[in-house]
Amino acid sequence: MKKLFIISGFLLLVVYAFALMSFKKPDTGKIVLRWATDPNPARKVQTKLFGELNPGLEVTVESGAMEKLLVQCATGTGPDIIDIYGATQMDCYAKAGLLLDLTPYASKMGFDPSKTYPSLKEDLCVDGKQYRFPCNTGGNCVIYNKKIFDDHGVEYPKPDWTIEDFIKAGKKFNEPGKSGQTHIPLASFYPYWVFIDMYYSLGGRYYTDDGLKSKLDSPEAIKALQTYHDMMHVYKIIPSPEVVAGMSSQGGWGSGPIVWFSTGKAAMIMIGRWYLNILVNYPDMAQNIASVGLPRFEGHPPSGLLGCRGPGINAQSKHKEQAMKFLSYLASVDYGTLIVRDGDSLPPNPTLAQNGEMLVNKTVSDPAFHQPFVDAMKTARPIDNSPFINALEVQRWIDERLARVENNPGINIEILMKDLATEINNKIKRNIDRSKALQEKYKSVTGKDWKPEK
Amino acid sequence: MMNRFPWFKFGLMIVLGISICVPFIWMTSASFKHRAEVEEINLIPKKPTLDNYPVVLDMKPDPATGRFLGMKFWRWYFNSIFIAAAVTYLQVLTSCMAAYAFSRIQWKWRDRVFLLYLATMMIPGVVTMIPNFQIMVGLDFLNSYHGLILPAAFSTFGTFLMRQFMLSLPPALDEAAMIDGASHWQIFWEVIIPLARPGMIALAIMTFLGVYQSFFWPLIMLNIEDYFTMPVGMLLLDSTYGRQTEYIMAATVLNVVPLIILFCIFQKFLVKGLQLGGVKG
Repeated sequence: MKKLFIISGFLLLVVYAFALMSFKKPDTGKIVLRWATDPNPARKVQTKLFGELNPGLEVTVESGAMEKLLVQCATGTGPDIIDIYGATQMDCYAKAGLLLDLTPYASKMGFDPSKTYPSLKEDLCVDGKQYRFPCNTGGNCVIYNKKIFDDHGVEYPKPDWTIEDFIKAGKKFNEPGKSGQTHIPLASFYPYWVFIDMYYSLGGRYYTDDGLKSKLDSPEAIKALQTYHDMMHVYKIIPSPEVVAGMSSQGGWGSGPIVWFSTGKAAMIMIGRWYLNILVNYPDMAQNIASVGLPRFEGHPPSGLLGCRGPGINAQSKHKEQAMKFLSYLASVDYGTLIVRDGDSLPPNPTLAQNGEMLVNKTVSDPAFHQPFVDAMKTARPIDNSPFINALEVQRWIDERLARVENNPGINIEILMKDLATEINNKIKRNIDRSKALQEKYKSVTGKDWKPEK
Repeated sequence: MMNRFPWFKFGLMIVLGISICVPFIWMTSASFKHRAEVEEINLIPKKPTLDNYPVVLDMKPDPATGRFLGMKFWRWYFNSIFIAAAVTYLQVLTSCMAAYAFSRIQWKWRDRVFLLYLATMMIPGVVTMIPNFQIMVGLDFLNSYHGLILPAAFSTFGTFLMRQFMLSLPPALDEAAMIDGASHWQIFWEVIIPLARPGMIALAIMTFLGVYQSFFWPLIMLNIEDYFTMPVGMLLLDSTYGRQTEYIMAATVLNVVPLIILFCIFQKFLVKGLQLGGVKG
């Protein structure tokens, strides 16, 4: 036994030494910037080009898993560049002191908000301070399968279509088409987006102008959620959770519904232009698809949620200046051209996405497909945040309510939304009660001293 | 009830057996499906394909995109097996040594210290995650094998398991050896360790399985792909732009193969070790 231990130990040491030797890499003398993002193969192309344009710098890509990020940043070993997937996440990171305030450097380095879409400005800032610059941006549109529309004898949607048109068309896919098959009307992979897009279409806001009260109990919010409820439980346009469980072999963010649409099982999907990244995996589908703007409520102009994935810089990074060069690169024509080519939403540089013609790429060569995404940038707006509450917390509560609607056809939407708004309002009050800084903020927006409720 | 209604026992076992097997069957089935079919619930693929395996192993490009996935599968395989083997070796060794001290040597407050040591099992791993990570940062152990091996080389559970096993060995063995002039070191190596072999094998298998599939610690410790273990590497197949389920399943099948082989080889020892422990305890 002793011999076995000694031999095993010796063998492990030899293997260890051998493995370590195989790692020896020549030191290139370059400064290595770590970028926490998702493992999309396109990142390799993007970082390679950055390296070519900045010979002394190299960017390595690593997992942007939030748990990893938080542990590493808490111990001062986080990545230099951190991808942020929306204003809610940015709000949370910025308030936690994780991100560097870019405002003093942005203009000089060429990545201030004026270098991208004007409508994105709020999405890059928290309390007027810039914390990130977009990698890509865009609003959702409806991408539809023309073959399925033809099969069911449904007219292709027109650019100015309404929610009523959408419901009318959607209902027809539940009946057998010429092929004898029924289809899923809408592959909804993130209920939150469907709800928010409709709420924004009604001109809805999350908070009052001073950020002190939630407006999610407004008639607009109730109408938007009621419509979502009816689409699922009355008109059967969006599959309910039970139907989804019966159809899909796996869960996970978005992948089920995206696959239904990509494999010709669903007629429509509400999604950004980044869908083209997925479409390359389904080459037969490209010829069948077309896109149109989001449906609007009668009497209201079209609108929707504007989002962007954009990196900020770790406040503890040792290479802040070099990391800022990466943000300047994101604003460049060189980088934007890659985004146009890969179809990864819209490039941050608006001069490259003036019309559908400019966005034509190998995956979809029809300019008409790309045009609605350009138009969406003019009508969409970023998510509303309040300085008095953590945006991720609010989003989690909205997600919870949406799940309740999905699982309970008989739910009273009005009570649900009033309860949500009360929860948000109470949290805002508690937050102000506990924070001197928020009390100052309260004074600056109301002109009055904060008086806690008894 | 079980004896009066044997069919009930068999029925229950069949249901349990099926519920355990179905995820494995589904995983294997999905690994032979095309992307268009992988979301469907049919267990038998309509048009089975073997292509997912060479794509995952980077021997063939993804047929849809014409691009290689660029996964360092063999390196990650090696890393996973090597790290699991090294941790297993060290953990069995340290657990046996600690267990010997807690079971065969009499010293003041021994059992109290053991209880205190055992109480550390009650602290959730997440609570100690940041302090542990901070220590690793201080030691400059990030992106290294030893950063994954050393923190896992000591185990309260392993010590507990081996202590219980060693307590079941008759004390007369030590006494006889001591009369013959053996030191503690000699008793440990020449008497106790050979007798504790079934317990050690059981601990080794459990440790190997646990470390081989551990995810969170390697995820936060490793940023360089060359050091990735299999579970961390497989994360590359799941991006915000979609999940390549058929590849994940092919990779998972390849990932579990060593575990199944290990279990088949050592199954006898594992069961025997647990049985022996049970009888003697």
